[in-house]
Amino acid sequence: MAIIEINNLSKNFGGVRPIDNLSLKINKGTITGIIGRNGSGKTTLMDLISGMVSADAGAVIIDGKIMNDKKPWTIARAGVARTFQTTRIFEQMTVMDNILAVIAEKNVFASLFEKDRAHYLKRAKKALMRVGLLEKENQMASKLSYGQRRLLEIARILASDARIILLDEPFSGVHPAMIKIVAEILQEMKNQGKTIIFIEHNIGLVRQLCDNLLFIPGKRLLPVCRPRSES
Amino acid sequence: MADYFIHLATIIGVWAILAVSLELVVGYAGLPSLAQIAFCGIGAYTVAVLSTVCGANFFVSILAAMLAAGVASFLIGIVLNKFRGDYYALGSLGFNVIIFSVFLNWDEVTNGPLGISGIFRPEFFGIDFYGGISFLILILLVLGIVFVISQFIVNSSFGRVLKAIREDEEVIQAFGYNTSFFKSVIFIISAAMAGAAGGLFASYYTFIDPTSFRMMQSVFVLAIIILGGLANLYGAIAGSAFLIILPEILRFSGFPTDTAAQMQQLVYGLILVLLMLFRPQGLIGEYKL
Amino acid sequence: MEIIWIIINSIIASAVYGLVALGFNLAYGATKFFNLAHGAMVVIGGYIFYGLSQVLGINPGFSVFAGVAITGFTGWLVDRLIYLPLRRKKASNMVFLVASMGILAVIQSIVAMVFTNQFRLLGLNIQVSPAIVICGYSIMRVQLLMVILTLLIMTGLALLLRMTLFGKAVRAISDDEEVAKMVGIDTDRVIGQVFFIGSAIAGLSGILIGFDTGMEPAMGLGLLFKGVIASVIGGVGNIYGGIAGALMLGFVENFGIWKLSSEWKDAIAFSILIIFLLFRPQGIFKK
Repeated sequence: MAIIEINNLSKNFGGVRPIDNLSLKINKGTITGIIGRNGSGKTTLMDLISGMVSADAGAVIIDGKIMNDKKPWTIARAGVARTFQTTRIFEQMTVMDNILAVIAEKNVFASLFEKDRAHYLKRAKKALMRVGLLEKENQMASKLSYGQRRLLEIARILASDARIILLDEPFSGVHPAMIKIVAEILQEMKNQGKTIIFIEHNIGLVRQLCDNLLFIPGKRLLPVCRPRSES
Repeated sequence: MADYFIHLATIIGVWAILAVSLELVVGYAGLPSLAQIAFCGIGAYTVAVLSTVCGANFFVSILAAMLAAGVASFLIGIVLNKFRGDYYALGSLGFNVIIFSVFLNWDEVTNGPLGISGIFRPEFFGIDFYGGISFLILILLVLGIVFVISQFIVNSSFGRVLKAIREDEEVIQAFGYNTSFFKSVIFIISAAMAGAAGGLFASYYTFIDPTSFRMMQSVFVLAIIILGGLANLYGAIAGSAFLIILPEILRFSGFPTDTAAQMQQLVYGLILVLLMLFRPQGLIGEYKL
Repeated sequence: MEIIWIIINSIIASAVYGLVALGFNLAYGATKFFNLAHGAMVVIGGYIFYGLSQVLGINPGFSVFAGVAITGFTGWLVDRLIYLPLRRKKASNMVFLVASMGILAVIQSIVAMVFTNQFRLLGLNIQVSPAIVICGYSIMRVQLLMVILTLLIMTGLALLLRMTLFGKAVRAISDDEEVAKMVGIDTDRVIGQVFFIGSAIAGLSGILIGFDTGMEPAMGLGLLFKGVIASVIGGVGNIYGGIAGALMLGFVENFGIWKLSSEWKDAIAFSILIIFLLFRPQGIFKK
């Protein structure tokens, strides 16, 4: 069943219309790849789904509820998490704090008087361990290498327990060993029933991981065919 | 002689309360507010008016001062939340000037440039705090409470969210946090503390006038926390002590008393410039501008 | 007929704010941060003139020249000693803002220590008939001078920016400092010159204001603010915008206090600032 439905979505900036009357349905538990030339509107689509940018026309429906006019934090609380094209971590906080900051209580007053600290700590450690950053948990995030930053962002997503995950070029600039780790994590998340959408330039990775792909500018979701020996 | 040190300690104490309160907003939440002295002034005038006009009990006056500052900061904070970076600083300066204008011109309430005198020092629970040392104890008590509350806040999950807002507000929003709400809450808490400091200030000097609450004073509080180090509550206290004591030492080494205020301004201005050039994280700061 | 008087006052106020805004905008265009120390330049100009002409008895004409030149030099020095190293370190805007606050505090305190905080009105010793009469309204010479000079300097700056090689360099830096460096512009030298010119203009305005309404060491900040507000209204970095903004500010202030009392001028000015920051931070004119 469709967990994300996009109906006649349009967005224009000045004279440019990167998203033009787009309609598609994304099913739960699938991995969708978004490909296209630079500047074609891939990130815009992600911004529209996550609420960072408001649509000029059309609707984004998540889990049956219209979401495109909601604030980013409301959409996030509906179970959406995302990364950005450039690595955006909290530089002057520790690695552990980077994770804890995003998974703890969202309500202002609850966060002042948090209970359950051990529970969040456990979740954070688990995520850090999965990406291999646990030994660095007390290190200042600004000291991490580029690849480690990418991994930290993945760890944030893992720990956040989001159901819908948007990744903006998660493999860019990452060396092959790490690509393998991230690809495995994506598969694991899919197996847990999460829905993943990611922007990518590397066609090989798209073919390897995705169930469907969207070519921007394009109008339809296309299924990805894999020979039996690969899937 | 002892009186002098007690007086100095009391002054340091008042500024330390202001510094700790500003630390929450600037050092942790990353909001470059230059309006702190305005909230201090609101608190001071509230206590001044209540005690001279209504003869109200000190404890009640201080609570009223905190409430007044809190309400003002709620309204101002809503507007300021829409700004970022230098525009936030500029906007907060603007509000500082507006509030100063009110102090200067709303003669019926604030007595304009003449100020309000005859504010009395507190007495509650039968203990009077008129004397120098007893007032110092009161200040240290309040500082202690403010410090403990601030520590609690910054070590909590809430504090971590504040730091995340400082680092990258859009990202923390994308993870489900209503950042405007968080910003407003810390702004109000900080202003209420500043209001309390203002009330104590008014009570200590028994006289206040608008000149104590000009923009340069806000710059002074900022200088204190930048010197001490941003995102470090102990730094706020250390910075206050340093910036109050240093000009006093200079005064003793021969500069005339009537230029004491200018001397202090010269000192902290110079320190600000040197810090920006050579050590933006201050003495024991955890965060660089 | 009172309206004409308000209009005259508005224009004179606009000239004052415009002069401050001109220097501020010039520097902002090149450096993109709010240089609060610009307010200190206004103070320096006025007090150097005072010190030279009225304390040391030096010829007023020369004192004006010296005041403007020394202020310009001070601005250049501040850039070389403080802003240049910060640019090298790629410091954030907030660092520049805070540093400029420190500079303002230092200069203001030094002036106050040397000349005391006493309010001074320049020109009391100078034998020049202050007022001239236009259409039955008495205007001070210095006020007329301010209006004329504002227009002259504005035109001069506009020509400088448009016609000269220097001006092209400034505009290039204003667009993108990195690219300007890459095409071979010595950005540090040009920025230093920009600060010289901007501060010199500020110094001149300080002298004029000293004659018009008098001066005190703490006046720098207040005047700077009006200049900043005018710049924000017109669009920061935009030379013409600053003048347009100054006009609007001058008029709204003076018409505003027609109905309220004059003490609320500052509150009116800052309310305009807040409104623009909220709804149109880029100013009236698009760059």
